[in-house]
Amino acid sequence: MTRHVLAELLILRKRAATWILLGIWTLLGVFFAYIVPYALDPEDATGGIRQFLPESLAGTLIDGFPFFGGVFALMLGVFALGSEYGWDTLKSLFTQRPGRLRVFAAKLAALAIVLVPFVLVLFAAGAAASLVIAQIEGAPTEFPSAWLLLRAIAAGWLILLPWAALGVLLGVLTRGTSLAIGVGILYALVIEGLLSAFADSVSVLEPLTQAFLRANGYSLAAALGASVDAIESNGPGSYAGPIVGSAQALAVLVASAAAFAGLAAFVLRRRDVE
Amino acid sequence: MTQHVIETRALTKRYGEAIVAVEALDLRVRRGEVYGFLGPNGAGKTTTLRMLLGLVRPTAGDAAVLGAAPGSPAALARIGAMVEAPGLYPYLSGRDNLRVLAGHAGAAPERVDAVLAEAGLAGRAGDRAKTYSTGMKQRLGVAAALLKDPELLILDEPTNGLDPAGMAEMRAFIRSLAGGGRTVVLSSHLMGEVEQVCDRVGVIRDGVLVAEGTVEQLRGRATLRVRAEPLGEAALLLARLPEVAEVAEVAVLELSADVAAAAGINRALVTAGIAVSEIAERRASLEDVFLELTANGGGPR
Repeated sequence: MTRHVLAELLILRKRAATWILLGIWTLLGVFFAYIVPYALDPEDATGGIRQFLPESLAGTLIDGFPFFGGVFALMLGVFALGSEYGWDTLKSLFTQRPGRLRVFAAKLAALAIVLVPFVLVLFAAGAAASLVIAQIEGAPTEFPSAWLLLRAIAAGWLILLPWAALGVLLGVLTRGTSLAIGVGILYALVIEGLLSAFADSVSVLEPLTQAFLRANGYSLAAALGASVDAIESNGPGSYAGPIVGSAQALAVLVASAAAFAGLAAFVLRRRDVE
Repeated sequence: MTQHVIETRALTKRYGEAIVAVEALDLRVRRGEVYGFLGPNGAGKTTTLRMLLGLVRPTAGDAAVLGAAPGSPAALARIGAMVEAPGLYPYLSGRDNLRVLAGHAGAAPERVDAVLAEAGLAGRAGDRAKTYSTGMKQRLGVAAALLKDPELLILDEPTNGLDPAGMAEMRAFIRSLAGGGRTVVLSSHLMGEVEQVCDRVGVIRDGVLVAEGTVEQLRGRATLRVRAEPLGEAALLLARLPEVAEVAEVAVLELSADVAAAAGINRALVTAGIAVSEIAERRASLEDVFLELTANGGGPR
């Protein structure tokens, strides 16, 4: 299996889109988590000046993963499978030795690996930004415990994973990239966003929204120190839906990733490669 | 070990009720031969090849490729294929494209540079595939098909988009690949290509195999064309000769006779005082046969 994953990593590693997404995600992540709110009025920010300091690194950054990061992971997932249809490369891959499911598993594994730098690079950039702000403010420069940071990084990766798997599924279903990305963003923004917002007033929606990726992503983020107030006032990515327990959040995120990947594998295995 | 590398029985692919891409195809490709799969565009060649590779599921019938089910790892491990235009990652170099496929195929890393050299691409191996000419992409596709050093090579229209020099080069390349006991299935609608390269040919029309045999068998026996004066007298005389099976008079005389009988026929005519201006061998080209077979109403042969 290792050689299959290495082959897929080569495809993702040499692709400009991977690096462009990583660059934009990191820049915007730091920009909206640190630069913009700090430049506007740090005292007026939800967590006050503390949210910009190294001690709040985990909570401040993880806040951006469930929606903003999710959309980046979705695009990465769409590109990983959807582009294969455009380039007609699936037939080349599927006529090699291993069979469709093994190729697909290698693609998923490579995608999951590529998500790791997406989390690590943002945390590194966020750490640098928080240190600069602490220097400016003359505030303490202590970071959270390594255990909390490790859990935050793992949670960030886990939050991105089902979004990437959803991207893979949409790429397979639409056999391309454009429609898949459009449908994915529509789902994230409109279906999950709007229904979650109405969950307070329409009680029948609440059980449904508790299964959403954003609900469970934000729940996991809140468990790691993200401010629920900040989540509710997060601009277009704001979320006012239910917050569930972290165990449920973990289970739903893992189950969602498995369900999206399983469905994509089923379709890919059954369908003709024309 | 079975003599047939590919064997299909009533292999059929339908899309819905209306579209029949391949209809009850019985195909047998022998070990070590170069088999030409001929047919006009849309005849079902590519669909057949995709079924043999497991890319498309047949609606009915079955097939065995190298003794295994199409698309099974056991079969794919011994097959190299290029179906239609080669599928390449445009941003990867030629070498990296092959490294990806070699990784999935389980081919030794050294094979990458070996097949690049074999396809004449060693000098451009580090360039991105999107900068390659059509001919180079085709050669990279063939190189990819060779990665596993396959027993069976399936090439679908490998000379598509090539200039005449590129086509000649590709034909020679394919012929060279057929050595060493390797079986090659070559799909094409270019008669010259098939005539020069293939040992046996199958012709498919509207999803149905309408003819199969060696190129010589398909072209049929040669006939003699005689131009003589007076034509009517010549026809009467020739019809009586034992070496002439049949005479047809259509401005010239078309004789069903062995080419070796030409000298005797000429002597007989001249002795009878008939002026002979031409005796020529006439033989249908593969293209004539193909056009006859694939034209509407052309029947199985």
